[in-house]
Amino acid sequence: MRKLLDIVWMKHLPRPWSFVGRGLLGSFFGLFFVVAYVSNAASYLSDEPEACINCHIMNPEYVTWRHSSHARVANCNDCHVPHDSTWRKYFFKANDGLRHSALFTLRMERQVIEAIPESKEVIQQNCVRCHSATMARAGAPGHASEERTCIDCHREVPHGRVHSLSSTPNAALPPLKPVIPEWLLKETKK
Amino acid sequence: MSEQKGIDKPAKKGGALGWVVFFGCALGVVVLGLLLSSVMERRAERKDAYLQMLLPISEFESDNSKWGVSFPREYNSWQLTQKSDEKTKYGGSAFRDILHESPNLVVMWAGYPFAKGYNQARGHYNAINDVTRSLRISEKTPGTCWTCKSPDVPRVMAKVGPAAFYASKFADNKAEIVNPIGCADCHDSKTMGLRISRPALIEAFQRQGKDVNKSSHQEMRSLVCAQCHVEYYFKGKKENYLTFPWDKGMKADNMDAYYKEKPHEDWKHAISGASMLKMQHPDFEIYNQGIHAYRGVSCADCHMPYKSEGGIKYTDHQVRSPLLNVSNSCGVCHRWPEKEIISRVESIQDKNREMLNTSEKNITLAHLEIGNAMKLGATDQELVEVRKLVSQAQMYWDYVAASNGMGFHAPQECARVLGKSNEIAMNCRLLTAQIRARHGATGPIQMPDIATKEKAQAFIKQFLPAPAAEKVLAPIKAEADKKGGPTTPP
Repeated sequence: MRKLLDIVWMKHLPRPWSFVGRGLLGSFFGLFFVVAYVSNAASYLSDEPEACINCHIMNPEYVTWRHSSHARVANCNDCHVPHDSTWRKYFFKANDGLRHSALFTLRMERQVIEAIPESKEVIQQNCVRCHSATMARAGAPGHASEERTCIDCHREVPHGRVHSLSSTPNAALPPLKPVIPEWLLKETKK
Repeated sequence: MSEQKGIDKPAKKGGALGWVVFFGCALGVVVLGLLLSSVMERRAERKDAYLQMLLPISEFESDNSKWGVSFPREYNSWQLTQKSDEKTKYGGSAFRDILHESPNLVVMWAGYPFAKGYNQARGHYNAINDVTRSLRISEKTPGTCWTCKSPDVPRVMAKVGPAAFYASKFADNKAEIVNPIGCADCHDSKTMGLRISRPALIEAFQRQGKDVNKSSHQEMRSLVCAQCHVEYYFKGKKENYLTFPWDKGMKADNMDAYYKEKPHEDWKHAISGASMLKMQHPDFEIYNQGIHAYRGVSCADCHMPYKSEGGIKYTDHQVRSPLLNVSNSCGVCHRWPEKEIISRVESIQDKNREMLNTSEKNITLAHLEIGNAMKLGATDQELVEVRKLVSQAQMYWDYVAASNGMGFHAPQECARVLGKSNEIAMNCRLLTAQIRARHGATGPIQMPDIATKEKAQAFIKQFLPAPAAEKVLAPIKAEADKKGGPTTPP
């Protein structure tokens, strides 16, 4: 362990190189922190719907959800990540999140985004999780054998039928926090 | 020499390793730097993609069409508030002469301009023209009456200050105030976020130790409406300072207590001589006591629901009764047939209307009976109590009657308030009967003919002073009349 720390700290390197190396390593960590801070990385651990609109691609989903009746009782994660085990929840979330961030960074997002099959499965489980009583009453299990999901018919729940990245222009969204911390802004304004 | 060699040797090895570390870290920094600039780029996109201003808008831009350049959908739907042809059972934007529908109100408001004319309000677009044409506006009317009619108001207030604005006269501001209720009343010109532009609401919150600007977005979607759709009064005979009587709470009883502590008289009743208070559309207050507010549903959720147009969704700025747009408003949560929703709402409103009628009948009789007692020789001292009661009964009644929604915003609360109003009116009539009996009355009063608006207005004329001629306002009103809007039922 000690040896490992020594290597990281570049103790074996002679004078000029150990300083240069440490300096670079420091800037590497500093930059890593800035990236994590600017991209609001910590928010992805939470259940806050606002974490999903760190990327503006999700804005239409966020806005339509907020205008829907589901906004009173359910957030994004309630429907879009599994809830049968905590481990599975975070594994699924990390998996999905990494895919999203990769696509987003490489600008590979489509004009009309759609749930992938794995996601649809989770959504269906979550419909049932809350609405099982209603489904029993409605005799809906009959549909199960037909391999139909709730959203095949309830297509407008909760995001509406019209879907595209540009479907909600001028939507009122919570503003992004400025990158410069507030206290510093105040200081510089003086 | 040998010592030097000893140092040289590892230095050579370390040299290679040093380069590896150097380039490795440098590469890491480059990659992270690229990622960072990508993150920043896409952050900036969010702003661009969601707020495309074709024309910069200045802080107090009151010309709604200038906002419309950048936000055509919102602007176009707002323009539809000009339409005045939609009618619901008890509301809508179509012309409705309320005095014609309830002639008793003429007697209840005897001595107050409301007895001259009281029509169903039309949409926001018509605000300026309709207030100018209103029969209730006179030379004495303070500038305060403009406060809720135009986005020009915050602009003028920023120049002269709210106090000076309130202290001016209505006619003084005619040239400045030209644009009807629109964008700048609710929106920030830079961010398009919701903002409170009227000082009265900010001050009402301050008096309760709250900061209205710290409200959530969902709360703001009601609070921007609460700038105007509330009970208010003009504090001070000269100052006419617009004030919300919320210090003790928002219920009718709280306001009653407030006005007891800070006496305010809107007018002296021409028939009964009671010191009267007029309530003005406490829509926000009543809504706050209903189930929808409890569930966190905002005004905009029902009155400005989301709307799809082609591939675009946006907030419908044609602010109107949800009963004219059931599927987009109620239907979001209540998945029943439209007909069923309307019939359930109307069944609530019918009951409210019935209770209003009962109160109106008894309050009208109370005024007439007190008037009769005066004729029989009852002194002011004898009538102190009954005058207080009739005024209180009418205040409770008005809390519900003046508000929009015909009781729907909080059915049980409205029923409670009207029950109280009716009880107070009946107590008043009981006491008045005793006073009248003391002065020799042996039966009920002789009812005047107040079956229609015209008859009722003819009847109260004998109690009113001769009207003063209006020189300054007459031409302004004539011009507004020309611009139109119906004055008689279509």
